[in-house]
Amino acid sequence: MSLRKGLPVKTLFYLTVAIVLAALPILIRSNYWIGTVNLAIIYSIAVLGLNIILGLTGQLNIAQAAFWGIGAYTAALLNTRLGWPFWATFLVAPPTAAAFGVILGFPTLRLSGRYLAMATIGFGIIINLILNNWKEFTGGVDGIPGIASPVLGPLRFSTNASFYYLALVCLILAALTQVRIKNSRMGRAFRAIKDNELAAELSGVDTFKYRVVAFALCSAYGGLAGQLFAHRTKYVSAETFFIDMSILFICMLMIGGAGSVAGSIVGASLLTFIPEWLRFLQGPWAMAIFGLAIVVIMIFMPTGLAGLVKSLGSKMAVRLGPDAHREPTELPRKASH
Amino acid sequence: MFDVTTLAQFFVTGLAMGSVYALVALSFALLYKAVGILNFAVGESVMVPAFIVVILLTVLKLPFLPAYLMIIGVMVVFGAVFQRTVYHPLRGRPFISVLVSTIGASLFLRNTSLLVFGADPRVSPALFPVQSVGFFGVFVPPQYLLIITTLIVLVVFQYWLFEKTLLGKKMQATAQDRDMARLLGIPVDRIILITFIYAAILGGIAGILLSPIFYVTSDMGFMFALKAFASSIAGGLGSIPGAIVGGLFIGVVELFCAAYISATYKDVFAFIILIAVLLLRPQGFFGEKVSEKV
Repeated sequence: MSLRKGLPVKTLFYLTVAIVLAALPILIRSNYWIGTVNLAIIYSIAVLGLNIILGLTGQLNIAQAAFWGIGAYTAALLNTRLGWPFWATFLVAPPTAAAFGVILGFPTLRLSGRYLAMATIGFGIIINLILNNWKEFTGGVDGIPGIASPVLGPLRFSTNASFYYLALVCLILAALTQVRIKNSRMGRAFRAIKDNELAAELSGVDTFKYRVVAFALCSAYGGLAGQLFAHRTKYVSAETFFIDMSILFICMLMIGGAGSVAGSIVGASLLTFIPEWLRFLQGPWAMAIFGLAIVVIMIFMPTGLAGLVKSLGSKMAVRLGPDAHREPTELPRKASH
Repeated sequence: MFDVTTLAQFFVTGLAMGSVYALVALSFALLYKAVGILNFAVGESVMVPAFIVVILLTVLKLPFLPAYLMIIGVMVVFGAVFQRTVYHPLRGRPFISVLVSTIGASLFLRNTSLLVFGADPRVSPALFPVQSVGFFGVFVPPQYLLIITTLIVLVVFQYWLFEKTLLGKKMQATAQDRDMARLLGIPVDRIILITFIYAAILGGIAGILLSPIFYVTSDMGFMFALKAFASSIAGGLGSIPGAIVGGLFIGVVELFCAAYISATYKDVFAFIILIAVLLLRPQGFFGEKVSEKV
């Protein structure tokens, strides 16, 4: 059924997407908007990380901006102080962030749900205050300027358009890795923890181990996003990595659809572009409407865009006849209290 | 630096700030206890009334009492609208959805306030004609004493409300088991609405008390929300006495740490306490068992 009819359509779709993505800098032309696309890609990677912990494992982490910041500062310090090039910080920043993820993950393992959320808030605030106040190490409020553009062999990624391709490759790798994780034994363990931690434990899932692993993966993605961010903007300062970014990442994921790889990317991109589109309004207007939009979206699209597409898709499938592929719609999960 | 009067001075100042935290934490804890939500807009329910009271007093030149009473009225509407729009349509959904919705509300309120009231920090005129009153050589601004007294009055009022009135019993029953309460004929939706209104009024009182001693800005709410989180965790999430003790504790510890250890890291201490409590005693000073309500 779907093999005969569906495959060419699917291939065609992916081919179109690939061509559009490859030609995007030529299609857009404006340097400013390419820069915004790059930012959307960086946010997408950070949100993909959040998707592992919140979307798959069901644990709320309100500190992703801190991990993003740890990645960015690791890259910034290694590059400006020790002269490490892009590829070297690329190898070091994500594991460093992951190490902090484990540091946060270990002691908070006993905590669940709302308590964990509060603990991660505290962690995020403390990291931010350290970045802001430890002048000798992090440059304090002045931040760290003069981070070098990525250079890989003969290739220099100093313009927005060239950086776009580098960032896109990173995003694709990050997304593909996550698809692999999602469909692996580990991914099933994550989802078992989300559905019912006690039941998962009883069925032999080492919930302790997998929660730490989920934390480490989440923060590694955050660290990668931070490393890219540092080399893109060539400047880092603590205010960028404040808790409101952690909250924005959560909104991106919830609006895109928690648990969905494509949803994470679409949600991150949308929430990067919407404030830009609203820029013709004065700053506070844009943010006020943005806040209102978040409430409205949470009310009318409980499973995010991914859930909406899925339920529309299954409705379409039903209409197309018994031959069409049918996927079950995911109902919003009941609250746990 | 360590003589008794200085210590006493610091202690009273810390208690006053802690009383404000306690009020905000109380508002936060009430909603957590009643409907299990983490209200990220709790700081905005302090900021909005603080702004309005400054406008009423400085622009419209109203006397204090009518201005304060009007704020209570405003907060009744605020609480009701908040419950109807931000919580009610999402009831029964996972707590993360409601949390994100309160984040949206917080962004909306913060930026709308920036539009309406502007970016300049404002402060309301002093309620008392004297700068400070002395007791045994300890000089305290009267506003601080008012804040501490108000907290005590509210605690007594709340005890009376919850333990001695039918409405309070209904509120407790609803918080404990919503379905059972509904079966017993308690109008659960209305009780939840009343709880939201009460929580908003507590925020309003905190805003009123703060306005003469604290610069009112559109983003002040966020820091108060964070302190309220830390307070209610320290006291025990969802525990009413815990929120009060936690708030006072954070206020006093923060002030002493700022005075004797580091003023730069003043805001860190609240969160170090938060993490320390979560690690050592996750249920807080007074908390229920840490496992989630099932």
